[in-house]
Amino acid sequence: MSGKVTAVTTMLGPATAAENTTRPTRYRHIQQGVRERLAPYTYVAPFFLLFFVFGLFPLLFTFYVALFEWDPIGEHHYVGLANFSQLVHDPRFWGALRNTFSIWVLSTVPQLLLALGMAHVLNHVRLRAATLFRMSVLVPYITSVAATTIVFAQLFDRDYGMLNWFLQLLGLQHVDFTASVWASNIMIAVMVAWRWTGYNTLLYLASLQAVPRELFEAAAADGANGWKQFRHVTIPALRPIIAFTVVTSTIGGLQIFTEPLLANTVGGLTCGAARQCQTLTLFLYEQAFGRFHFGYGAAVGVALFVMTVIVSAINYLLVTRIRSERP
Amino acid sequence: MKRLITTAAVFASAVLLVVGCSPGSGGNSASSGSKTFEFWSFTQINQKADVDVYTKAHPDVHIKLTEVGSTSETAQALTTALAGGKVPDLVLIQGDDLPKFMQSPENFVDLNTFGADKVKGNYLDWVLKQSTTKDGKTIGIPTDVGGMAIAYRTDLFKAAGLPTDRDEVSKLWPTWDAFLEVGKKYVQATGKAFLDNTPTSIFFQAVNQGTERYYDTDHKLSYDKNPQVKAAFDLTLKVFASGISAKQASFSSGWTAAMSKGDFAVVSAPSWLLNQIKTNAPGTAGKWDIATIPGGSGNWGGSFLAIPKRAKNPNAAWNYIAEMQSPAGELAHFLSQGSLPTTPSVYSDPQLVAKTDPFFSNAPIGKIYTQSVVGIKPFYIGPEDGTVGTELLNTLTSVEQGKVAPANAWDTALTNVKNALRG
Repeated sequence: MSGKVTAVTTMLGPATAAENTTRPTRYRHIQQGVRERLAPYTYVAPFFLLFFVFGLFPLLFTFYVALFEWDPIGEHHYVGLANFSQLVHDPRFWGALRNTFSIWVLSTVPQLLLALGMAHVLNHVRLRAATLFRMSVLVPYITSVAATTIVFAQLFDRDYGMLNWFLQLLGLQHVDFTASVWASNIMIAVMVAWRWTGYNTLLYLASLQAVPRELFEAAAADGANGWKQFRHVTIPALRPIIAFTVVTSTIGGLQIFTEPLLANTVGGLTCGAARQCQTLTLFLYEQAFGRFHFGYGAAVGVALFVMTVIVSAINYLLVTRIRSERP
Repeated sequence: MKRLITTAAVFASAVLLVVGCSPGSGGNSASSGSKTFEFWSFTQINQKADVDVYTKAHPDVHIKLTEVGSTSETAQALTTALAGGKVPDLVLIQGDDLPKFMQSPENFVDLNTFGADKVKGNYLDWVLKQSTTKDGKTIGIPTDVGGMAIAYRTDLFKAAGLPTDRDEVSKLWPTWDAFLEVGKKYVQATGKAFLDNTPTSIFFQAVNQGTERYYDTDHKLSYDKNPQVKAAFDLTLKVFASGISAKQASFSSGWTAAMSKGDFAVVSAPSWLLNQIKTNAPGTAGKWDIATIPGGSGNWGGSFLAIPKRAKNPNAAWNYIAEMQSPAGELAHFLSQGSLPTTPSVYSDPQLVAKTDPFFSNAPIGKIYTQSVVGIKPFYIGPEDGTVGTELLNTLTSVEQGKVAPANAWDTALTNVKNALRG
């Protein structure tokens, strides 16, 4: 590694070489050393400068704003930690927290299981028109979230939705998906799962195709049926990618916003008259941009940040365990 | 070579950094002649028609009209712009969003400096009061009001054995209690729901008919003590208990579907809702008519035009306001677009009185709606009005969804309002 770098630096332009001949050798070495050390930082600088401007600064500024009662077009009053103590006593915050986690679990678990199964089937040797099927699982992902959400909201409608029409055919009662917490959370989770299942399927499929066919053939020759192949070949081969998808869908799950914003317009920005499916991000948006309480909105943002860090830490521990367990 | 790359990389990052930081970068409009100005409006109100009329009369004026989004999205964009971005020269603000901006009047031009105080008499006093500060500054000029009325389906009324003529129907319900009795008769005769929902069609109307709403005369919050608010709330629960509501929350997809299928016969309709009925249920053309609302005059909705303090061309913006929001200008807008004028001098104009709408069985909409806005007693609308109104309405919606027992509704509503006011 270090050999390579030296090779590059010795290829410096003629001007440098000419300068150097007039200077003591020791000085030249020092100069070169400094350059070698600075170079990598310079190369990564553009990313970090942009990150400081658009990532770190807003993040730190959010912490600052959270200490104020902050009217965007009026006055700012320093209130210390009052926003946070209010947050802890706010039933709306706890409701949003509950919804965020329940929607996340309700969408992620079935989504990843379904994606695993679909990847296994799509990887099958005897599947005809494989490319067509493999491509079409990605269609929900490339469809506009807003469009998907509006169509789903109509399917889930209490009196005129297709889903309730089926329930009626089966002789069941109509379900008002906007009214109860569970029903509305399931409704949102279905929309999220619909969008991401295909994406995860393709990720699994890609890494499944790296698994030698002989493994499956050998398993089949040993008398392993489809389920046993899935259990003992597919899943162990996919360990690293499963870990990856768990992490990404966790981060995505904590930030669900568009679906609850558009799926249930009753009550405005609250996803239901009693905040049945309001997620944390939507609560943040309601406070900061619906009611212009920037300080309180920022406090919700800080809470969300802390939670994301905690969940990521748990994730990290789990993932390192999954990775280290060899088949 | 390496030095070159290094220098280039550092330079590029520095440029990006500077560009990213400099305020107001890339926001300058192309031409900034004294006859050009920028106008932010919201969708579904068709300000484009007004702008076209104005630029036709003044070909030298160039108006850059942006339809930002819904009313609240426009208010959000304006807030962001006022907090530190490029502001428009002219902006349309919906009545419910106005109190928030009235909290910081220093962000807007006092229109009295342009002579707004001389034309004050043209406008409904209770509307203009909403855009006037305590010390008499005029922040906005009212462009339209909503008024109040009831839209009903003549074909469904006929099938239920009720009268269909709009004067007879209006006589059926001088009060909300009488309205409730008509509803019961309808349900008995047809077995179908009478009203779209109670929170919007009863509570929002009744609470706007009072002499005081969520604030008292000292501009202090009094929603929990004002007997008029409690009465409107209890009336809503009473109507709900009678079982005449279709329980379709206003503006939801179910509400739209039920409207075109005729699954309710009656909806409370301020003038701006008429266009929504036409768009949502085009197949019901000619089957609707409009009757007066029970309980007397009242208003829901309306908008104001304002000029931000940092506007580049406030003069051109004011010229536009002065011409288009004059009594003649508002009358012309009503005749072409249907929004109700805020200038009472044109309420007796023969053109306004003669204006009918074929979609609503040729109802004289000008006459019906202007009657509902004259003689309104002004009440103070404060910065938290939107929050209080939304929470009360949402609790009543929860009652319709069976999630809050009617007996606990008032206490739940007060708790919800208190939580919302803290945050």
